[in-house]
Amino acid sequence: MLIIKKYIPLAIVMIVGLLTLATYYVPAKASQAYLSTLNQWEVIVSGFAFLLGLISLLMTHYKKIVRHEDGWGYSIFVFLGFLAVVIPGIISHGAQADNGTLTSLGWSFRYLYNPLASTMFAVLAFYIVSTAFRSFRIKSAQAFVLFIAAFILILGNVPAGQMLWDTLLGWTGCCSISDIIQWIMQVPSVAAKRGIMIGITIGAVVTSLKIIFGIERQYMGRD
Amino acid sequence: MENSLSVILGGWLSAGITIFLFSFLYKDNPLFKIAEHLYLGVGMGWWFIVLLYGTWIPKAYEPFMQGEYLLIIPVLLGISLVTQFIPRISWVSRYGFTFIMGYGAGLVLPLNLATDFMAQIGGTIKPFAAIASMSAGEFINYFLIAAGAVCVLTYFYFSVEHKGFIKKASNIGIYFLMIYFGASFGNTVMARFSLLYGRFDMLYDFSGARYAFATPVIILLTVCFFVYRHIADKKKAGITKTAKAE
Repeated sequence: MLIIKKYIPLAIVMIVGLLTLATYYVPAKASQAYLSTLNQWEVIVSGFAFLLGLISLLMTHYKKIVRHEDGWGYSIFVFLGFLAVVIPGIISHGAQADNGTLTSLGWSFRYLYNPLASTMFAVLAFYIVSTAFRSFRIKSAQAFVLFIAAFILILGNVPAGQMLWDTLLGWTGCCSISDIIQWIMQVPSVAAKRGIMIGITIGAVVTSLKIIFGIERQYMGRD
Repeated sequence: MENSLSVILGGWLSAGITIFLFSFLYKDNPLFKIAEHLYLGVGMGWWFIVLLYGTWIPKAYEPFMQGEYLLIIPVLLGISLVTQFIPRISWVSRYGFTFIMGYGAGLVLPLNLATDFMAQIGGTIKPFAAIASMSAGEFINYFLIAAGAVCVLTYFYFSVEHKGFIKKASNIGIYFLMIYFGASFGNTVMARFSLLYGRFDMLYDFSGARYAFATPVIILLTVCFFVYRHIADKKKAGITKTAKAE
């Protein structure tokens, strides 16, 4: 049983990992075919991984409704929302428009999903600013640099900020706020981003090797 | 589908959920919770449809029906993941997970090395090959990028104690990181605010006669709801206080 439960899965991870790794360095027709097949397989398997989350969410809210737990009434809206998209989706075969006319799925997307998703993220604007205002204190030179960078980026991206800059500092003829933003994004930001990216890659490479060789196996759960 | 009734209904629904979600800025309330839970369901429903008609049917079901019987393997591996919900056979899900992890690790390793490691190092060093034709400004910028990247890496290098020269370099690295974080913060704030303008713009559109004045009516009803709740809560608090005093 240990072979089926433990060693075969570990063999799968090693074989699939090493073969996929090899395809990058062996540009043969067979390796390309292998990669495209496995890519298709991965998309299918990952699709089922979504089902895990979906079933878990629906089961949690179903239990809440059945047990009449606190706030169970809201859980009904999870099911209503789910059905409000799935039923139109099945009726319109996943198409949002038919000959230029909005299908029922397109209607659900335009008037339900889109406003919900964008308002959720729009509300975050207030929280980002209010949290920054409450928690951010310029106590050191480093914090001051962070503040200045953020301030310039925000100021320079609104017309009022550009006008203010031009009125106060335009006479110097030095540079516009857009030039400064461009410099921040192309010089110090790139330097920091490169440092972070190189660091992350080293970590990702080590973790990938540990996964392939079965050293890291937390994703397998308990025996 | 786009007749006037569906447009009016859509406008009311859209304006309603937008205002309900914004109502959280006042305080946590049932209207926000309804919209929040609705978002959860709608989001999951949307991705379910995307996967159904974008992956499962065109990439698994249809090719399988046309004779690509090997596709049964990823389908079985996928189904194995769902055994997580049955404790007795949950170990079967390892087959699906190991496939995803193995493929992901094998794919990420060379790609990350090529794009996020070698290409970044190359991008930092390469410009100095044309040092003779560089202007002073360009040289300073490329030097700052190279020196900044090294300093940032020094900050993340924990194998040696940060003192002396290493400490100085890592301190400079912090300044570069702060500029990057500040710039990222500024960009994120602006992106969120542009979404906010979009929502306000939409609410303005829905306040017209075409949508049967959805926005002002819903705002009015929401305000009435809050006033009613406030009065009811105050009454409830008063009753509890009296009961306690007695």
